[in-house]
Amino acid sequence: MDPYLGRELFASPRRSLARDCGPPARRRQWAAMCLLSVVLVTGARSANATPLDEAAERYRPYMTEGIGQALAGARDLRGRIAAKDLAGARKAWIAARAGWERSEVFTAGFVPELDAQIDAWPNADTGFHAIEAKLFGANRIDVENETDALVDHLSNLHGKLRNMPLTPQGLLDGTVRLAYEVGESKADGGESRISGTSLDDMRNNISGIQLAYRIIFAAVLKSADRKFADAVDGKIEELKALLAGRDLQRVDIPKLRRESEELVVALQSAAAMLRLQRPTLEAASR
Amino acid sequence: MTVRGSWIVAVALGFLVMGFHGRVGAFPVDGDQTTLPATTELNEDALDKPREVFRSEAVGGGKSYLVNLGNLAFSSSGILGGVARQAGVSCSTCHVNGASNAKFFIPKMSTRPGNFDTTGPLFNPKADNFVLDPIRIPSLRGARYLAPYGHDGRMASLRDFVRNVIVNEFSGPEPSPGVLDAIVAYIHDIDFLPNPNLGPGGRLTGQISDAERRGEALFLKPFPHDPAQSCAGCHVPSAAFVDHQQHDVGSGGLFKTPTLRNADFNVPYFHDGRFDSYDQVVAHFDRVFDLGLSTQDRRDLVAYLTAVGDGVQPYEHDGAGAVLKEINDFTTVLGTAIPANDREVIALAVDTIGSELRELTERYPDRKNTSVSGGQQERGLARLALKELVLTLRRIDMAAAEGRVSDATFEYKNYRYLMVAAVPTLLAGAEPWSLFNPTVHDAHYAALRQVLQTRHTAR
Repeated sequence: MDPYLGRELFASPRRSLARDCGPPARRRQWAAMCLLSVVLVTGARSANATPLDEAAERYRPYMTEGIGQALAGARDLRGRIAAKDLAGARKAWIAARAGWERSEVFTAGFVPELDAQIDAWPNADTGFHAIEAKLFGANRIDVENETDALVDHLSNLHGKLRNMPLTPQGLLDGTVRLAYEVGESKADGGESRISGTSLDDMRNNISGIQLAYRIIFAAVLKSADRKFADAVDGKIEELKALLAGRDLQRVDIPKLRRESEELVVALQSAAAMLRLQRPTLEAASR
Repeated sequence: MTVRGSWIVAVALGFLVMGFHGRVGAFPVDGDQTTLPATTELNEDALDKPREVFRSEAVGGGKSYLVNLGNLAFSSSGILGGVARQAGVSCSTCHVNGASNAKFFIPKMSTRPGNFDTTGPLFNPKADNFVLDPIRIPSLRGARYLAPYGHDGRMASLRDFVRNVIVNEFSGPEPSPGVLDAIVAYIHDIDFLPNPNLGPGGRLTGQISDAERRGEALFLKPFPHDPAQSCAGCHVPSAAFVDHQQHDVGSGGLFKTPTLRNADFNVPYFHDGRFDSYDQVVAHFDRVFDLGLSTQDRRDLVAYLTAVGDGVQPYEHDGAGAVLKEINDFTTVLGTAIPANDREVIALAVDTIGSELRELTERYPDRKNTSVSGGQQERGLARLALKELVLTLRRIDMAAAEGRVSDATFEYKNYRYLMVAAVPTLLAGAEPWSLFNPTVHDAHYAALRQVLQTRHTAR
C-alpha cells in the first residue's frame, strides 16, 4: 500500500467522510464515486450568494446576445444556402459559430440536450460540425435540412434563455469547464479542424470566459480579495495573449495548457471566497 | 484500518491490477491548422501495443527512480523543441514502449511507413541536409548490448547519441545531466523479449523444425565465394547476433550490423526500411554475395530467422490498466522530487503525466460524441476523476514553483488517494463505453476518418 495513502485515508477527517458515504458491500462503482465526491467537496461552503444571484441576472442579456448572434448567423446561413452561395455560407457559418463558442460557458450545464444536438461530432447528422463537414470539407452546399435543424435548436435555446433559472454555481462550473477545455491538445487540428477555425473557437471561448467572469464574479471576488481577483483577470489576459497569433501552429500549446490549468485552479480557489462549491469539471456531474 | 476502509482500498487496488483491454491515442492528424503535416500517421490509435520488458523486473527487482524518470522524460515532448514539442511528439511516439513504430509516417519526411528522415527540415531546419534520406525507426530492446549507436554506428556512447537526438534532431534545449543519465538508464533497462527458441550461445534449442535446423546450418556456413564470411560472422549468435561493426552489404554504404533478436517485430528491415520481409532480405544477400541459394535454402533461412527473431507475447492489448500502471510508475518520481524540492523534475513530471491523463480522458467520449451512446454518467465520472488528477498535479507544480513544499506534499497525497482509491474503479465502470472497447473504438475512428476523408476526396 502507498504509505501516503495509508496515512491520508485513515488519519484525516476525510476518512470519516468516506466511511459515511454508504453501507458496506455496495457496488464498488458507488464506493469510488463516493470517494471522488469526498475530494471534490473540499472547500465547499454553504450556498448563500445573493449578490452573485443578482450578478447572474445581469449576465442574462449577454447570454441572449451570444445565442442571438449564433441564431442570426444560422439564419443568414440558410439564406446563403438558398442562394447557392458557398463562400457566403461559409462566412455565415463562422459568424454563427462565434456566438456559439462564446456561449459555451453555460450551454453544457444549463441546456445539455440542446448543447449536444447543436455541437455534436464527429459524424453528426445535425449541428455545426455536420454542416462544417459538408461546407468546408466536401465543398457541398446541400445542407438545408441540417441548417433548418440548427436554426430550430438555436431558436429554441434563444427562447429558453428568457426564463431559464440561472445559478452562480452553474455559471462558475461552466466557466471552469470551458477554461479547462481551452488547454486541451490541438495537435490534431482542434475542434473545428475541417474549417480550420479552431483558433477562432478558442478565442471566442476565452471571450466568453472573460465576459462571465467580469460580469458575474469579479466584483464579489474583488471585495473578498482584490489581489486574487486581479490575478484571475491577469490569467485570462495571458490566455488571450497566447491566442493572439496568426494561426494555430504558432500558439504555444504547452504554455496554453499550463495557463488554462492555472486559471482553473485559481477559479476553484475563488469558489470558496465566493461562498460557492468547488466547480466540477464535467457537466451534470454535480 | 477498519474493515470497510480496507474493503474500499482492496477493491480499488484490485481494479488497479486487474487490467482492462484496448488503448487508443489521439485523433488522426488532419486539417489546415495542424502542427504536423496532414495525413501524418502516428499510429496512436492502435489497440495493440508492443510489450515492454524491463531487465530490473525480469531479474526479480524493480525499476529504479532513474529508470522511471528516464521513462517519463522519454515520454515527454517537453524535452524536445520546436515542432515536436508543439505537436506533442516525444521519443516514445517513434519508440512505442521502447520498440519501433512500423506505421509511423510523416509526409515528405518518410518514404514508407516505419522510416523517418532525422536530418529533414521539419523538426530542426538547422540539421536539414537537403536530401530525403530517411532511416528505419529501430527498436531499443536490448540496446545496452548493441553499441555503437545510430544506423551507421557513428556514436560509441548511448548518452552522446541520446543528447544528439534531443538537441540536434529535435531542436530541444540542452538536457540536464540528470535527465540525460535517466534516459540512458531507462534505455539500458529495456530488455529483449524472452525467446525460448534460443539456448546458450544463441543456438536454436527446444522443438526445432527441420527447416529451422537447416537454416541454422546455412547461417553458420561460410559464403561459397568468400569463405572468410558467413551470416554468423557478422550476426554473432553468442553476442545478441551483432558484431558491433559496420559493413557494406550492398545497401549504399557502411551500416552497423543489426540484431536479429526480436527482429520478427522490427519490420521494416535494413537501415532505410527498404524491405518488408525476411524473404526480401535473404534474396538481397543471395544476390549481392552470390550465395547460390536454392528456393529451399531461402525458405530454410527465413524459417531460421523467424525462430531467432521470435519473442514471447510481443504485443499486449493495451488498456486503461496499462496506462494507469505507466502513469503510476511516472508518479513515483514525484515521491522523490517533491521532498527534495527538485523543481525541474516536478515540472517535467506534472506536464508529462498531465498530458497522459488528458489523453486518457479522451478515451472516454464526452456527451457530444455521436459514436457512442449509453454510459453517459459513467463516462462523465471517469472524465471528471481524470481531470481532477490533472488539476491536482497542476497544484503540485504551482506550490513547488513557489517553494511551498508542504502544500505540494499535501496535494501529492490527494493525488495518490484519488489515483488508488477511486480512479481505477471509475474507469472500469466506464470501460464498456470507452474507446478501449474495440466496438466503440472502431465506430469512433471510422466516423472520424470518414469525415476527414470527405475533405480529401473533395480536393
